[in-house]
Amino acid sequence: MRIGLLTEGGYPYVGGDARLWCDRLVRGLVQHEFDVYALSRSERQEDEGWIPLPSQVVRVRTAPLWTAEEDRAVVGDGRAYGRRARRRFAECYGELAGVLCAGASGEASADAPAAEADRFANALYGLAELAREEGGLVGALRSEAAVRVLERACRAPGAPRTAHEARVPDLLAVAAHLERALRPLSLDWYEDDGLGSVDLCHAASGGAAALTGLLARHFFGVPLLVTEYGVQLRSHYLAAATESSPAVRSLLAAFHGRLAAEIYRQADCITPGNAHARRWQERCGADRTKLRTVYPGMDAGPFAEVGESPELAEPDTLVWVGRVEPTKDLVSLLHAFAEVRELRKGEPGTPRTRLRIVGAPAGAEGADYLTHCRVLAAQLFPDEAEGPHAVGDNPVSFEEIGGPEAPTLADAYASGAVIVLSSVVEGFPIGLVEAMLCGRATVSTDVGAVVEVIGGTGLVVPPRNPRALAEACVALLRDPERRERLGAAARARALELFTVEQNVAAFHGIYLEIVSRCPVPRVVLDDSGEPQPFAVPAEARVPGRWTDAATRVVARGGPSWAAGPPVRPPLSVPATGAAR
Amino acid sequence: MNDLENLDRPRTPAGDGIEARQKARVGEAHGGAAGGEAAAAPGRDAVGTFGAHRGAADPVKVLMRRHRELCERAVDPLEIAAGLEAHGLTDRTAARFRHRDVFSLAEEMYARVPRDGDPSRRPTPTADTRPRADWIVRTLLPGTLCAATLAGLHLTHGRARLVLAAVGTLAVALALRAALSRGPLGTNRARPGPHPAPGARPWICWLVAYAVLGDGLLQDAASGGPDGLPTGAADSSWPLTITPLLALTLACAPAAWSAHLFAARARHKLTASRGLEEFAASVRPLLLGTFTLFLAALTGLLALSAATVDDPAAPSQTLTLGALLFLARLLTIHGFTHAPAVLLTAAATAEATALATLFAGRLPHCDVLGIPTQTLLDTWGPGSIPTLACGAAALALLLHAFRRLTRASAHGRTDGPW
Repeated sequence: MRIGLLTEGGYPYVGGDARLWCDRLVRGLVQHEFDVYALSRSERQEDEGWIPLPSQVVRVRTAPLWTAEEDRAVVGDGRAYGRRARRRFAECYGELAGVLCAGASGEASADAPAAEADRFANALYGLAELAREEGGLVGALRSEAAVRVLERACRAPGAPRTAHEARVPDLLAVAAHLERALRPLSLDWYEDDGLGSVDLCHAASGGAAALTGLLARHFFGVPLLVTEYGVQLRSHYLAAATESSPAVRSLLAAFHGRLAAEIYRQADCITPGNAHARRWQERCGADRTKLRTVYPGMDAGPFAEVGESPELAEPDTLVWVGRVEPTKDLVSLLHAFAEVRELRKGEPGTPRTRLRIVGAPAGAEGADYLTHCRVLAAQLFPDEAEGPHAVGDNPVSFEEIGGPEAPTLADAYASGAVIVLSSVVEGFPIGLVEAMLCGRATVSTDVGAVVEVIGGTGLVVPPRNPRALAEACVALLRDPERRERLGAAARARALELFTVEQNVAAFHGIYLEIVSRCPVPRVVLDDSGEPQPFAVPAEARVPGRWTDAATRVVARGGPSWAAGPPVRPPLSVPATGAAR
Repeated sequence: MNDLENLDRPRTPAGDGIEARQKARVGEAHGGAAGGEAAAAPGRDAVGTFGAHRGAADPVKVLMRRHRELCERAVDPLEIAAGLEAHGLTDRTAARFRHRDVFSLAEEMYARVPRDGDPSRRPTPTADTRPRADWIVRTLLPGTLCAATLAGLHLTHGRARLVLAAVGTLAVALALRAALSRGPLGTNRARPGPHPAPGARPWICWLVAYAVLGDGLLQDAASGGPDGLPTGAADSSWPLTITPLLALTLACAPAAWSAHLFAARARHKLTASRGLEEFAASVRPLLLGTFTLFLAALTGLLALSAATVDDPAAPSQTLTLGALLFLARLLTIHGFTHAPAVLLTAAATAEATALATLFAGRLPHCDVLGIPTQTLLDTWGPGSIPTLACGAAALALLLHAFRRLTRASAHGRTDGPW
């Protein structure tokens, strides 16, 4: 089977977002062929090059999303299109702008959501068809005509107040943003030997990558699978919060909302990475029957040894592992630790509880925060020593992975009796999964997907509550048996749910299911232009690759042609070699 | 969940300030210190984390006050939901506000934000529109170098003069290049990309060269010459007109100023205007004013140069040529490269044709070819040909500029600091 893997700023690039996941997926599914269609986000990303690709990646096509400034000569003089094309563009773009203005108020479209969604889809596909037939959509989207159409839509009766208030700079900003967002429409991938030749499009994220898949579906009927670990729409809201005026934000929010809704409507299967993403997708109109949560996979290998040997843990040590940034709320953790020591004072044997904070700061802000935390730790906890003649040290230590105390990530987890997670904001908590894989008991704050990940195999406390955190930690520190029980349960849970194998297996199953349920309708024409019956035999889509030449077995005396591979439709003859 | 019923029960009021809040939080937390092996039950320590300060019967209101900026800014409920989640709010927290999830909580908050038609706070762009020293110097360079070279030529003789002329030409060319590379006359401000229309450059060179050499050549050709290369001597048969060159190089500075003024004012009008029509209407007089300003400056510089060099001023051809070059540059820096290139080519071709026909008229049986140019020469003098060619082209460009530079899209992206 041929999978078109669509990525945006991701997979084959060295610095890509989801490259690890995509790489494991591609390497895990040896039986399929992959065509990677990658959109790059910046020039720097392109310069950094690709990661080594396995042989099942048949070809890679890339396109930049960042060539910010196109030839303005074409734009400015508006000579790109003829009269008819210009009219067509104005119609489609006008429809698009109309929908955005109608839907910008959110509730305005409640009466006829389906009709509005159809209008948006028609406008979008109209633009895509125009771009495919005539080219030069970028120039048109930047032209004065586009701005004028936007202005008309904003001033139309029924447009919401925010849109009415749009000023000229706002219109220009919206037009520029739409041009950037619609750049996938102008790509030359929508051809028979491009996206038309794949059996399934797998978009590794929403937004631009999924838009590409959407168009492949529109032009060729290629089924679309969308995987979202973080919902694009949500990140758009968070990113758009700065600076721009309400008019711009409302129009763009409407656009991204509509686009997401259309992607979810057309996708044959949507796989959110956690329940949080799933809720957003449901909220944006994704059909529940299409949603299939596929947890991201983690490589369990490095943690196997630690996970199998709980005796490595030092009994009175709390460990925090992660990137140091303000959202991790280490201050709260330090206060909680002070509380822990307070609570444990009366215990027999006066245990020396230690806290190890392992992690590097993220950026300048993280570095400042780390300094702040060090100062706070020094203030809260004086150095202490075993006896009057020993050299003392601080019960709180700040370390980095690779240092003498924690050469590897697994070692960092290994020393902890209890692993603590004190974040106030968290997406999918990778650190928590790692701790689970190490078979350690955990105490985490109730943020993001923590509860979903931990299930019942660790303690969860409210965020920003040092007292509760401390009490949970003390409860575990006092009870080694419970610690061991929880750790074992956590490891078992992680091995079942969060391994690479389950991730790959899930996608393998989903691929087969999609292709069996909605195969690409391919019609092969003969020389006279008539459809050729039985040109695409049923076995053209057997799941997996054709048998290797080496293992081909023909009955003795059988016809020699039986040794060849079955007929593939001529359309999908792979154009081997990476076309960059 | 039984705590939910107690949510809007008035709480014991405590004093204001951090300590009180801390106390309340610690007190609450005793109940919520997750003892169970599963997630802490929602509803515990409800108000400790996100909830009401003392005595609030309406926890959502407190939440709204806490995220007031987010609520006021939001354009739809999802934006509030995203913002709340970024602050660590989860569905379990939302349950404490008697909502099923963050979305419905966000919807309530969105609905409750007062939107009483207050003029929304607009971000005022504080782009630095003051002229910067580096480009001012750069635009002054060509004129200064040209003047210096001319002064040098005046003082030297023979071989040194030739060398000086060559060096001076090179220096002026480099200075021009520097003046046009960045600053208000530069095309590549804050955006990488292909340098637009490099094809127009030879034509510009031709036009300038014609301004220096053309009139003399034409005059000479009409009277049967030329018999040799121009010597630069005042009494030679092929005289040079230096004034236009000096005036034009000096005019780089006013051109940059005018372009800067135009861009800055247009940007100001852009932020101030509500509609595209309004913007176009306000830019038209601005464009005309800028153009007039430049022409006035050029006239002044021309008079000055003529007085200094003591040369025939050739005002009409210099003014038209200056106008043509200025408009072409103005259009180019705003992204319209096609029309300037075409019109510069046309003007240069017209001048070349005039010369060529005059020479072609000398061929046997081809007298007819030279007649139009000869007529022009006889009627209005040699200056009429560049005046006509450049004037017509400048007029066309001016009309074009009125159509193109009044568009908002021409000014939208020129706001990068130089």
